[in-house]
Amino acid sequence: MNRERRTRPGLRARVTVTFAVGALALSGVMAGITYLTARAGFLSERQAEFRRQAYVNASLVQNALRVPGTEVNQLLESVDTLPGSRSVLNTNGQWFATSISVGRSQIPAAERELVLSGTAASQTFTIAGTPEVVVGVPLPGVHAAYFEVFSLEEIERTLQTLALTLAIAAGVTTLAGAAVGQWAAGRALRPLRGVSDAAAAIAEGDLGTRVDAGDDADLSRLASSFNRMADHLQERIEREARFTSDVSHELRSPLTTLSASLSVLETQRDQLRPAGRRALDLLSADLSRFTRMVSDLLEISRFDAGSAELSLDDVDASELVRHAVVAAARPHGSDPFRAPAVPVVIEPAATDMRVRIDKRRFERIVANLVDNARQYGGGVRRVVVDAPAGAHGPGAFMRVAVEDDGPGIAPDERDHLFERFYRGHHAGRRGAGEGTGLGLALVAEHARLHGGSVAVEDAPGGGARFVIDLPVEPVAGSAGGDGPPEGTTSRVVG
Amino acid sequence: MSTILVVEDDERIRSSMRLALEDEGHDVVDVASGEDAIEAFSQRPADVVLLDLMLPGIDGFDTCRAIRRTSTVPVIMVTARSDTHDVVAGLEAGADDYVTKPFVAKELGARIRALLRRTRRADGDADVLSFGDVEIVPDAGVVRRGGDEVHCTRTEFRLLTELARNPGKVLSREHLLEQVWGYDYFGDGRLVDVHVRRLRTKVEADPANPRFIITVRGMGYKLAV
Repeated sequence: MNRERRTRPGLRARVTVTFAVGALALSGVMAGITYLTARAGFLSERQAEFRRQAYVNASLVQNALRVPGTEVNQLLESVDTLPGSRSVLNTNGQWFATSISVGRSQIPAAERELVLSGTAASQTFTIAGTPEVVVGVPLPGVHAAYFEVFSLEEIERTLQTLALTLAIAAGVTTLAGAAVGQWAAGRALRPLRGVSDAAAAIAEGDLGTRVDAGDDADLSRLASSFNRMADHLQERIEREARFTSDVSHELRSPLTTLSASLSVLETQRDQLRPAGRRALDLLSADLSRFTRMVSDLLEISRFDAGSAELSLDDVDASELVRHAVVAAARPHGSDPFRAPAVPVVIEPAATDMRVRIDKRRFERIVANLVDNARQYGGGVRRVVVDAPAGAHGPGAFMRVAVEDDGPGIAPDERDHLFERFYRGHHAGRRGAGEGTGLGLALVAEHARLHGGSVAVEDAPGGGARFVIDLPVEPVAGSAGGDGPPEGTTSRVVG
Repeated sequence: MSTILVVEDDERIRSSMRLALEDEGHDVVDVASGEDAIEAFSQRPADVVLLDLMLPGIDGFDTCRAIRRTSTVPVIMVTARSDTHDVVAGLEAGADDYVTKPFVAKELGARIRALLRRTRRADGDADVLSFGDVEIVPDAGVVRRGGDEVHCTRTEFRLLTELARNPGKVLSREHLLEQVWGYDYFGDGRLVDVHVRRLRTKVEADPANPRFIITVRGMGYKLAV
């Protein structure tokens, strides 16, 4: 998945946000309802209590006022009030109060008049930011009215605490919702990740990768479609590779006949006329090229079919390269020329390096690079062996550079150079018919099979420099080689 | 003059091989099937057998085993591909060497000459080489184990002699390929591996846990002393 290209949040993030918003809305509504219900219940309960209290006190005051000569202030003091509540009394037009903070002026005018005219009333209002309830009881028998002012502050505090608690609960629920969303999204996406991993594996060339369909009806459809697609793809790629392989195989039999017959003719070369000799040479040269082309095609079809395997040996790096260069310098089959010796430079870091390598493939790499240098690069100038990351340990690799005396490779050609049948600027300039067009492509494939790479750059002092990097120890798994002789098992046929 | 038995079902390949081998001065008997090969060999043993592995009827592996039951004649198998299990299976069936189609006639000629040169009599300094209860008489080309003669092919004999001449010394596969088969550095190491396995079944008491012919991991083989 390409992170740069992602322009909107991922599915996982969106599911998480959706869950969080859902949880927030739900818990918010629930908290709101809970708060309002609790508040209404609380307040009506307290107001009933206040009224009861006020009536009890009012009747107390009425009884006391019936007794002549009662000291009103003392009477009010003696009234049993709830904590925080205060009494106000109007008797014969005179106002008395238990607290100096409360008096006639604190009782709303509307209620005052209503009660004095003989109707009981209760009202909630705010004094200096504090909510209060005033309950007024007319006492017509003694020409008085009793008011009691109750504070709602305590209830308000309780309700505030409740609101806070509910808000916190809503927040926690939201977070929990987000967590559940993320978990659910992850869980729902897990099979998708499986599909994406499988797709990546197939893209990497592991064509046999399939997705486990599982027992989920929705996902198994995706999985089975994916697997069907992979089957078709694999079938098609294998069919193509098999075709190349079959064609090459079929060509082997006539090639064997041609080669054997030609060798008979070659022993009688001296008896031929000059034109016959020339024809024989042409035949011989192109037969050897044809033979190499067929084996190169077979080799590359094995890479395409994914059936190429490493056969690893533990060898001394400098010895390996020297032998490979000598073998590469030997002329092909009946090619008439002898190649000059190629200097091999072993850098100090690489002197005692040992590598685990497929010798045959390495020999092909070097042979193809040497061939390439001969055809297009004016011959090999030198071959350099180095170990830029040390001779052993993790990350250690062998670097083999083949330098030629040619004009070098233009930068725009370098990327295409390792493509099959790429001719580039040499198109139409085929020399003595040496190349198969697959040489450098095979170099890249052999290197890749080892977990290595190949690149081309300018050689110091002109010419091209082909650089092969091969790990000292190919990663297990990439190699299907037969390893140590002891452990080799083989299929017994027949 | 040496006689070569060519077993190949493709008629044109067979004819051209006959021409090329006769041209090199060999006497050629050619047959098209495994059955015919076994029959022809029992009537007239050849000096070298050239055996295609893909044959109708009795295949090359079985033909090789049938010939091996009665003879230690050098066998070169002709395979279609060098990277399959065919090579190892063919060697295990008793072949000495292999060539891959399409082979160059010159290369085949060189392999045949190398095999024919691989006579039993190796020019040795010692009269008798021995380790454990195994005794090798290079001059006579005889291997005895506990006094009984062990039947070895020429290749096995050469391999055993090379190891016995260098007791305790690790011999790389490359060295053995060169000394025994006449290959260069890039010869196929599987030739050595399979022949060592075959040799162990003949000279070791317990081939799965060899006491004498020891694998030195990553290096090669040595004869333990």
